Amino acid sequence: MWAIIKKEVKSYFLSPIGYIFVGLFLAVYSIFFYLDVYYYGSTNFGNMFYSLTTIVTFLIPVLTMRLFAEEKKTGTEQLLLTSPRSVTAITLGKFFAALIVVLISEVLTFIYYGILMYFGDPNLVTALVTLFGFTLLASAYIAFGMFASSLTENQIIAEILTTVVLLALWFLPNFIPTMQTFSLVNAFTSSFPAGTISLAAIVLLGSFTILFILLTMMVLQRKKSVK
Amino acid sequence: MIEVKNITKKYGSFQAVHDLNFTVNDGEILGFLGPNGAGKSTTMNMITGYIEPTEGNIIVEGFDISKKPKQAKKQIGYMPENVPLYQELTVREFVQYMAELKRVKRKEKKAEVDRVIEKTGLKDVQKKLIRNLSRGYKQRVSMAGALVGNPKVLILDEPTVGLDPKQVAEIRNLIRELGKTHTILLSSHILSEVSQVCKRVLIINKGKIVAMDTPENLEGKVKTDNILVLTVEDKQDHMKDLKKEIPEIKEIELKKENTDGTKQYTISSDEKVDIRKKLFEILPKKEITIFELKKAEATLEDAFIGLIDTPEEKQQEESKTEPEKENKKEKKKKDKKKKEEK
Repeated sequence: MWAIIKKEVKSYFLSPIGYIFVGLFLAVYSIFFYLDVYYYGSTNFGNMFYSLTTIVTFLIPVLTMRLFAEEKKTGTEQLLLTSPRSVTAITLGKFFAALIVVLISEVLTFIYYGILMYFGDPNLVTALVTLFGFTLLASAYIAFGMFASSLTENQIIAEILTTVVLLALWFLPNFIPTMQTFSLVNAFTSSFPAGTISLAAIVLLGSFTILFILLTMMVLQRKKSVK
Repeated sequence: MIEVKNITKKYGSFQAVHDLNFTVNDGEILGFLGPNGAGKSTTMNMITGYIEPTEGNIIVEGFDISKKPKQAKKQIGYMPENVPLYQELTVREFVQYMAELKRVKRKEKKAEVDRVIEKTGLKDVQKKLIRNLSRGYKQRVSMAGALVGNPKVLILDEPTVGLDPKQVAEIRNLIRELGKTHTILLSSHILSEVSQVCKRVLIINKGKIVAMDTPENLEGKVKTDNILVLTVEDKQDHMKDLKKEIPEIKEIELKKENTDGTKQYTISSDEKVDIRKKLFEILPKKEITIFELKKAEATLEDAFIGLIDTPEEKQQEESKTEPEKENKKEKKKKDKKKKEEK
C-alpha cells in the first residue's frame, strides 16, 4: 500500500492538481481569515473552517477525479491490477494519497494559528478538534469522489458526478427535513469547530467513508469478471 | 510453466474464448497467433489475472491465478498490448515503482532496477520523462516494467508493434535471450517473427485453438500441390501449349511480365511428381529460355491463412486431433531424452 501512496502523492505534485488544490485551499482560507479577524475581531481558529466546507465541495472532486479514471483511460490500470497487490491495497493506497494532499493543506493552515497566537489567545484543543473533524469530512468526500472515479474513464464525468452529489447532500436537507440526519456538512459544522467531538458525527462521516471505499473495491472486483 | 485448463470467457451470450487448453513448458517460448479479435489479448489478460475467466483454471508456476493471485502474479511479468505507462514519471521512477509493486525487497531494489535498465538498453534515457520518449523507447520501458523483479513467466502482448526494423531486431534478440531463462508466451501478428523466435506456435481463431505445432510442421501442413515458379523468355508464346506436352501439369498461371521481356509463371502439379526434369528437356526445344526455376515454399503465412479460412467443421476436426498430436510430441521428447541418457 505504501508504494501506491508514495507514487500517487508524487503524481499529484508532478501535475498541477496538487498545487492547485493546496493553493486554492489556502487562498480561500486567507480570505475568510481576513474577514473574520479584521471585521469581526475573532480569534477563533475553527470559524474559518465553517466557510471552508464550501470550497472543498468543489475542490475535492478535482482531487479525486483522476484516481481511477485516468488509469483506466491510459491503460495503466492493467499494470496495477496485474501486480501482486490486492484490490484493497490499491484502493486504500489511492484513498490515503488524496487524503495526504488534504492533510498537507490543513497543516499549512497552522501558519494562521501562529498569527492568531501573536495577536491573541486561540484555543489549541479547539483548533485540533476542528482539524480532526475536517479530516473526517474530507475523507467522506474523497471516498465518494474515488468511487465516482472508479465508475468511468472520463475524469470530467467523475468530477461533475462528485460535485453534484456533494452539493445535493449539502442542500437537500433544506427541502427534505429528514435528510438533515444525513447531511455531512451539518455533521461537521454542528460540533467540531466549536471544539466538541460528537460521536454521531464521527459515526456518520466514518461509515460514509467506509461504505464508499468498500463500494469502490466492489466496482474493481466486479470489473474483473465483466470486462 | 503456465497451464491453461478449459478456460471460457463469455460476454453475455458472446463467447470471446471457448474452452481453451494449452500449456507453456518451462523455458519455452510459445508463439501465440491469431487474427484480430481472435481472443489473444483476452486470453493473456486472463492469464495475468486482469480479468477472470467465466469457466476454467489457469495455473502459473503451480499457483492458481484466481485462488492465490498474489503468489501467481509475482511470477508473471506482463507487457500489455498498447504499452500503458505513467507518462508523468521518468523511466527510472517508473521501473522503481514497478519494482515496488512487485514487492522487490528494499535492499535489492536499486541493484534490480539498475540490472533491468541495463538489460533493456535504457541507461541513457533513465532520467527522461516517459512522455518525451519515442515509441521504441516506450516499448522498452514497458519491457523493463515486465522484467523487473525477475519473474519466471513473461507474457508479451505484441511487443514489436510500431517499431522500426532495427528496433524489431533488437527486441527480438532480447526475447530470444530471455527465452533461455524464462517461460514466455508471445503474441504477434508478424509471422516471420514467431517462426524465428518460437519453437512452438499456437494459432487461435474465434476463441478456439486451430493448431498447435512447430512452425515447420505448420508450414508442411498446408503443402498440397507442388508449385514451381518459372521465369522464362518466350518470344513465340509457346508456354500456353505446355500443358499438352507435359500432362502432369495441373495449371499454368502467368504471374507477371518483367520489363526485360521475361515472364514469370507459376506451375502446379500433383504432389508426388517432380516435373522439373521434364521442363528442362522440353522448354529448349520450344525455343523457350529458362531464366529461373524454383520451388515455391509454403510459409507460416500460408499456414496461418489456410488454417483460419477453413470452414467451421474442419476446424473442429483439427482441434479434436490436437491432444493426440501433443501426446505424440511428448513421446518424441521422451524418446529424445532416452537417447540422450544412453
